[in-house]
Amino acid sequence: MNTAGPASRRPVVTGLGFITPIGNDRATVSAALRAGRHGLAPVEFLGNPNVPVKLAGTVKEFDVSSTSCRDWTWPARYDIPRETLRGLAPHGVFAFCAVEQALADAGLASTDVANLPDTGLFCASAGSARMLHHNLGQMDAARGERGNPMGVVSSICGTLNFTLGAHFHIAGAVCGFVSACASSSHALGYACDEIRLGRLRRVIVVGAEEHNAETILPFAAMRALSAQSDPALASCPFDASRNGFVGAGGAVALVIEAADLAQERGAPILAEIAGWGQSADGHSMAMSHPEGAGLRLAMQRALADAGAAPAEIDYVNAHATSTPVGDKAEALALRAVFADAGARPRVSSTKGLTGHPLSMAGAMEAAFCTLALAEGFIPGNAHLRTPDAVCDGLDLPRETLAVAPNVVLNNSSGFGGSNVCHVLRRWRG
Amino acid sequence: MPTPSDLPQPLLRFPTEVRAAYQSFRATGDEAALRTVVLAAVRDFMPRSSAKSRTEPLRPDERLIEDLGFDSLAVAETVFFFEDLFKVAIKNEDILALHTVGELCDFVAKRARTSAAAS
Repeated sequence: MNTAGPASRRPVVTGLGFITPIGNDRATVSAALRAGRHGLAPVEFLGNPNVPVKLAGTVKEFDVSSTSCRDWTWPARYDIPRETLRGLAPHGVFAFCAVEQALADAGLASTDVANLPDTGLFCASAGSARMLHHNLGQMDAARGERGNPMGVVSSICGTLNFTLGAHFHIAGAVCGFVSACASSSHALGYACDEIRLGRLRRVIVVGAEEHNAETILPFAAMRALSAQSDPALASCPFDASRNGFVGAGGAVALVIEAADLAQERGAPILAEIAGWGQSADGHSMAMSHPEGAGLRLAMQRALADAGAAPAEIDYVNAHATSTPVGDKAEALALRAVFADAGARPRVSSTKGLTGHPLSMAGAMEAAFCTLALAEGFIPGNAHLRTPDAVCDGLDLPRETLAVAPNVVLNNSSGFGGSNVCHVLRRWRG
Repeated sequence: MPTPSDLPQPLLRFPTEVRAAYQSFRATGDEAALRTVVLAAVRDFMPRSSAKSRTEPLRPDERLIEDLGFDSLAVAETVFFFEDLFKVAIKNEDILALHTVGELCDFVAKRARTSAAAS
């Protein structure tokens, strides 16, 4: 295992913020992962009971369903000023709260990250299809004669960077990442590189999405979503009966710092990000390579970057979303990387509990991996009953295990064949 | 008392007296009532960072940017609020000529009269 390099170039996780289907704080999320408590809830999109999508991974305690920010509600513990709220998309509200929470978890006040040339913000979301639809509809209705001045910043992909970067006065670097369901994994990977290259000492990484009809329903048109109404049957990654993913929303933020910065200020280090790797399938605009060739290469690159042998990996948080094609590709890739090398890490997809939050998935699952390392458990495969035969040779625990992993791998794949993997390691100094 | 269905969407979350003032202006053309609506909107769009006290009344001579802390986007957002409320289009050059609370009140009153006459 490669632990070489000065502490100034070793990226570590010091803070986590969760606004997720399975909880809106670290303790609740950890408890849900341990207990296998899912966050799926019934939905009726567009008020139409005939829509073939019955469930979503929903965020509780918030109501951001209106297109007017005046109508939105969020937990009173978060204080969003009017001048920030005006530019937020609905998922921007989730993201704002996740960042505040992550900073507090890292022992930082928002003033501690303001106007510093060594602090960055890397974000990922698909933008707000709902706000874009509404704002363009408003412009169409006025035949182009007027439109909402906040229409661009509150809608388009990049809305998180614009609004959160301004609110928190981020001065080192602000950037967005767009690779569909690998987006926030790219954000995290490049955040680590910025620290390893010595360009930044701290990066706040954010992934967020909305769970409304405008974001989720287009995937039903691709026949990618489960039509199940029973949460126990709907999102069941690696199961022989899986029939599509369950869309989800929320936001997750991670504070990534150079280890020496964390040590200087006495911050508890939750995990080290020991390496990452990416690859591309070069195969399809939406479907995984049938044998998971790209994901296999990304895993191998992440392991090589971390200096970790396959046998050193104790746990893999799989991307598996519960689609027939994607889960099969990932199972084959995992078998090629691990089983063929005689290694047998525990593998699970936490999307059985959360559903699939698209761009946010990579950051969310990296945060789950961080919890697993910091608190000593391995999440199980909720809702897995009969593993698909393609998973033969993989260790897929049903229940969460009270086993403390030392090194874990986090997988993500996105449309266009983007694959990103991170290796995280328990911090030993 | 106006019901939500009688009110345009932009005013739904405003206090009762502001919604009543809007209805009064629509019914009678009372410009004092319109001024109540405009001042409430200015207050609503005022940034938290403003040096202006939240409770002190707004004065006509106060400048939106220099005194109340608006940025140019907040001015555009405030103007759009009135465009949306009165279904009018306001030109950039008109926006750029608006500097004070009083100028904004007068401008909105003029455009609202035009809008009412046209409808």
